[in-house]
Amino acid sequence: MAAEGAVKAALQVAQALETIVSGCVGPEGRQVLCTKPTGEVLLSRDGGRLLAALHLEHPLARVMVACVSSHLRKTGDGAKTFIIFLCHLLRGLEAVTDKEKDSLISKNIQTHGRYWKTCCRWKFISQALLTFQTQILDYVVDRYLSRHFLSVFSSPTKERTLCRSSFELLLEAYFGGRVGRNNHSFISQLMCDYFFKCTACEGGFEEAFELVDDRFGELSVGVTGLPVSDSRILAGLVLHRDFSVYRPAGGDIRTALVTETIQPLFSTSGSEFILNSEAQFQTSQLWIMERTKAIMKSLQNHNVKLLLSSVKQPDLVIYYAELNGVTVVECLSSEEISLIQRITGLSPLVLPQASSQYEISSTALVKFCKPLVLRSKRYVHLGLISTCSFIPHCLVLCGPVQGLVEQHEAALHGAFKMLRQLFKDLDLSYLTQTSDQNYVPSPLIYKNRESNQLADTVNGSIQRPHQDPVEKNEGELAKTHTYLNTYSNSVVPSIELETHIFRSTPKVTPAGTQQTDEALGCLSANKTRIMDVCDLFIDGDPTTESTAENTRIEASFENVSIPKMGGKGSMLPVRCKSSELGTSRSCCFSSISAGCVLPVGGHFEILLHYYLLNYVKKCQQSEATMVGTLIANALLGIPKILYKSKRGNQSFPQVYVRALHALQTNQPMGGNQTGLESVSGKYQLLTSVLQCLAKIVSIDLVIGIKRQPQEVYDQESEEEL
Amino acid sequence: MSRLEAKKPSLCKSEPLTSERVRTTLSALKGIVASCYGPSGRLKQLHNGLGGSVCTTSQSSALLANLSVSHPILKILTTSVQNHVSCFSDCGLFAAILCCNLIENVQRLGLTPTTAIKLNKHLLSLCTSYLKSEVCGCRIPVDFSSTQILLCLVRSVLTSKPACMLTRKEVDHVSTLILRAFLLTIPENTGDHIILGNSIIVPLKGQRVVDSTVLPGILIEMPEVRLMNILPVKKSDSFKVALFRVSLSGDLSDTGEGSVVVNYGVSLENAVLDQLLNLGRQLVSDHVNLVLCQKVIHPSLKQFLGEHRVLAIDRVGAALMEPLSKVTGTQPIGSLGSVSPSSYGNVKDLCTEKFGFKWFFHLIPNEATVCSLLLCNRNGTAWDELKLTCQTALHVLQLTIKEPCVLLGGGCTETHLAAYIRHKTFNDPESILKDCGCTPTELQLIAEAFCSALESLTGSLEHDGGEILTDMKYGHFWSVQADSPSVGSWPDLLTRCGCGLHNSLEELSWSFLKTARHPFAPLPCLPHEAVGSANNLTLDCFTAKLSGLQVAVETANLILDLSYVIEDKN
Repeated sequence: MAAEGAVKAALQVAQALETIVSGCVGPEGRQVLCTKPTGEVLLSRDGGRLLAALHLEHPLARVMVACVSSHLRKTGDGAKTFIIFLCHLLRGLEAVTDKEKDSLISKNIQTHGRYWKTCCRWKFISQALLTFQTQILDYVVDRYLSRHFLSVFSSPTKERTLCRSSFELLLEAYFGGRVGRNNHSFISQLMCDYFFKCTACEGGFEEAFELVDDRFGELSVGVTGLPVSDSRILAGLVLHRDFSVYRPAGGDIRTALVTETIQPLFSTSGSEFILNSEAQFQTSQLWIMERTKAIMKSLQNHNVKLLLSSVKQPDLVIYYAELNGVTVVECLSSEEISLIQRITGLSPLVLPQASSQYEISSTALVKFCKPLVLRSKRYVHLGLISTCSFIPHCLVLCGPVQGLVEQHEAALHGAFKMLRQLFKDLDLSYLTQTSDQNYVPSPLIYKNRESNQLADTVNGSIQRPHQDPVEKNEGELAKTHTYLNTYSNSVVPSIELETHIFRSTPKVTPAGTQQTDEALGCLSANKTRIMDVCDLFIDGDPTTESTAENTRIEASFENVSIPKMGGKGSMLPVRCKSSELGTSRSCCFSSISAGCVLPVGGHFEILLHYYLLNYVKKCQQSEATMVGTLIANALLGIPKILYKSKRGNQSFPQVYVRALHALQTNQPMGGNQTGLESVSGKYQLLTSVLQCLAKIVSIDLVIGIKRQPQEVYDQESEEEL
Repeated sequence: MSRLEAKKPSLCKSEPLTSERVRTTLSALKGIVASCYGPSGRLKQLHNGLGGSVCTTSQSSALLANLSVSHPILKILTTSVQNHVSCFSDCGLFAAILCCNLIENVQRLGLTPTTAIKLNKHLLSLCTSYLKSEVCGCRIPVDFSSTQILLCLVRSVLTSKPACMLTRKEVDHVSTLILRAFLLTIPENTGDHIILGNSIIVPLKGQRVVDSTVLPGILIEMPEVRLMNILPVKKSDSFKVALFRVSLSGDLSDTGEGSVVVNYGVSLENAVLDQLLNLGRQLVSDHVNLVLCQKVIHPSLKQFLGEHRVLAIDRVGAALMEPLSKVTGTQPIGSLGSVSPSSYGNVKDLCTEKFGFKWFFHLIPNEATVCSLLLCNRNGTAWDELKLTCQTALHVLQLTIKEPCVLLGGGCTETHLAAYIRHKTFNDPESILKDCGCTPTELQLIAEAFCSALESLTGSLEHDGGEILTDMKYGHFWSVQADSPSVGSWPDLLTRCGCGLHNSLEELSWSFLKTARHPFAPLPCLPHEAVGSANNLTLDCFTAKLSGLQVAVETANLILDLSYVIEDKN
């Protein structure tokens, strides 16, 4: 298959997938019913699940699905947008090549030659895509886009506190794309409550996220046959089984964990037990009985009233537990055991082999322990006392059918994945490359060098008021660090002063810097800590903003401006990073910081579209122009679908024109959409799609084979073994 | 690896509801469930064409469990109804028919699914909040000081299942039995939590229904021969009971993962038997009168116990263990060694009884919340149906204790609710329009679809070609026989409304349910004393019906929201 054909075929495949996927995208999306070969029915709006359920045969489609699933493993979100964006990119690419083909034909090149020529061209495009993604895209995101970012954190202090209202908006937008229309607000409210109940203390929610994400199956109980609105949150942990022995107990209940049968057995694995006489048999049985009795007695003496066991205990143990008033839960799965261990820090009992003294080493206190009946099925409900930052709560998810319950479960689990991703800093690649001395010179590196020089000058000029000028040397990087440290060490009142000077530097000492205007732009482009601090004080475009606007700087120094979210009137803190935060992470260079969000409804796409086009206008390289325009136009495909059903004032062209106007005049972009979405998720999606496209474009031939391709074994490692 | 096969690609269909095939299968399902509905519903005979048992039923649980539906959309519908039934036992057909009606009506309108779903949800919340509110006109509080309402409720459940084949007299008999069995499970002195006991249904097929009876305590079926052999001797006014969970057959339990080597000449059987006989001696010396074992008792031990006038009953089964331990107050014993005296329990009396052709041991407790409902019916299929019905009735009673109110049955709740929704959407559309962001026309269309779904559900109660009417004051359900003269004064033709609360002599005006009416606010039902005096009411379980309504609308919304169906063909 010729490479040209490959793109055409890929476009056809992507279009077919797009029609399916676009029906489920966004808050207006509808459900898809999937049947499993076993006959179960499943409801889903999850793109990844739909693509997997289709069992596609086409090789290119399989490549796409593989790319989507690898992206999902990383972020857990964005499968549908992936397909739509990919489809638009392919469409754009085809349009471009169609144009060029005409010009090629006019040149009358031989067919064979042309074939190879196009192959080379595709390879070239593929490389251009990757370079664009690693260099220009990161640059644009950092340089321009970052100033529009909002944050889910309400205060910029070191212990990041979540702003509840923006958190709610974030979840609502997420579930709007995941669960049925009539349930999404209920489910997002449930999720929000669950989150805040589980992490009552400030900070430390990363640990809770990790735990919930890992053990979500054990923290939720699905109940079919009840309306969805009966779903609720229970304090404590619900184990998916019934008590073997239930002895209600008051006071403080201590619990112990066992992973083996308490009753000693005749022989352990690998050993032999030789019976010589009947008397010996009887005495050993007696011994077993006495020993079991003694262990259970000592449990009672240690006030252990609840025994959690991962294995089935023999009747004898159950009997003595009953006599001693010990409640027993058996056959816990290893996941449940590990969850209990993580929450309470409990370690399993070690039963001594010989000694008659039974030391119960590890017990934990339990608030309550009672049976829970959900839809005539009995569960164990434990009030564990947590030793970590996660306060155990369980989700009871109800729904008329199993398929719906599973959908909600998957959506909630996905939400935790998304949040985990959101609360991590995402490093961008482009500034780290400046420290690489062997970097191939390009316009970009030129700018970076420039900015580093400027950083030095600025460095000096700022430090003048209160510190001796630091010597300039060629280790620009180290220098930046020094600057950062000194800056962050300075006391709070002086920050205002410094900024003032910093902002006015270009005007006061124009001779000191080489190209004031340009350099300032580059400095802002350079996403070092300085820029972060800078961001704190300006919310306009740094290049166009006049440095004389001291009042404005002071006004925005308040750290928070309050943009009104459409309709809801909720308060959103503007993204701001304090110098304290900066020091804690001063080693990383450019990043999308944790908790960065943008309003939903194609905000990210339109912004990036606008800035990419702006960049492309200034750029001289034809390759970059081509790729940049391609991406910029493809980005619009997503908001187009989101606004498809809207009419009149809310139709896509209207929204688009208004947004562009707002951007050109430096006004905040208005939007009637409520809800927020994670920037890092969107950004990762973009890069994944571009990588996938590069992969597809670079394939020149698809060969059908009868067997599976042989796996390439790492022979050396095998030899080592 | 050679068994790995390539997966076949799935089949993907868009807009499934618009396809003709789905519509016909949906209406076929609706036809099946609707024809079963109500006291005069038609029976369905299920068989597989290869012989085996035949099931005659009109209950949703039996029907849907045996029906294999092909289309995934129908599967969603039936599983959701089955799940509802397994939670609440009752109102399965109600939910199924309502769901089918809603899908059909909304689909016919051709509105966008978004608005339809939003409005349906809103109308549902109107219904539920009305039913839960104090002003609700179709709800009656339950007075636990008299059995009147509870008896009516049980009788309504029984009459709505025609496959039980009961005469009027038998219905009365069985409903009193069910109510008595239920009352026996309520503990006399209660703390904060009431823990209901259980009533065990004991089968006795081939007897007359009126031979059914309720007994306190537990019945254990016994072969006649064994009864003759060992009859216990009455020693005192109570019997000491030991209940074993562990097997007394002398088998060697789990010996661990390693191996056990037995030298030649060592007989473990003897050793274990010695142990068992020691246990027997201890039981005798503790003056135990009755030994019950979940599993098997070794014949030698049985004989030993028999010689010492101790009655031994084995193979009781795991299902009876909990009620037995409750009735006798024993702790199930798991040890072959020493038995703690605190594990023993006792029963008040012990006797053998014969019902029909079967012999039973009857354990009569001192005070316990366990009773046995000995249920008779003429043949197997009718008995199965009756058993399901009894379970439903008992469950409905339990639900009524939790939520002490009942709804009017016989279709009156549905027509009343439809009248309320019509009135509400006609007179106060602004609040709904503001919430949903739709046009008044859309609201009127959906409200009409919703109400006519409820009303045509009540229409399914009439299977004999009669006419359905509603009165313009209370919004109740009235039916007129098919062969009655078409013109005539309504009060002469009609007798009582569906639930039996109102009679035709009150000054009412009627209208056909199918014709358009002016919306009116339905009046609440009579004051309480009148309700108390009416002893022939048809009533429905509040909790089950409310949940049935919710499940039906939620499922309909779910199905209306489908844009694609992906069928995995592997």
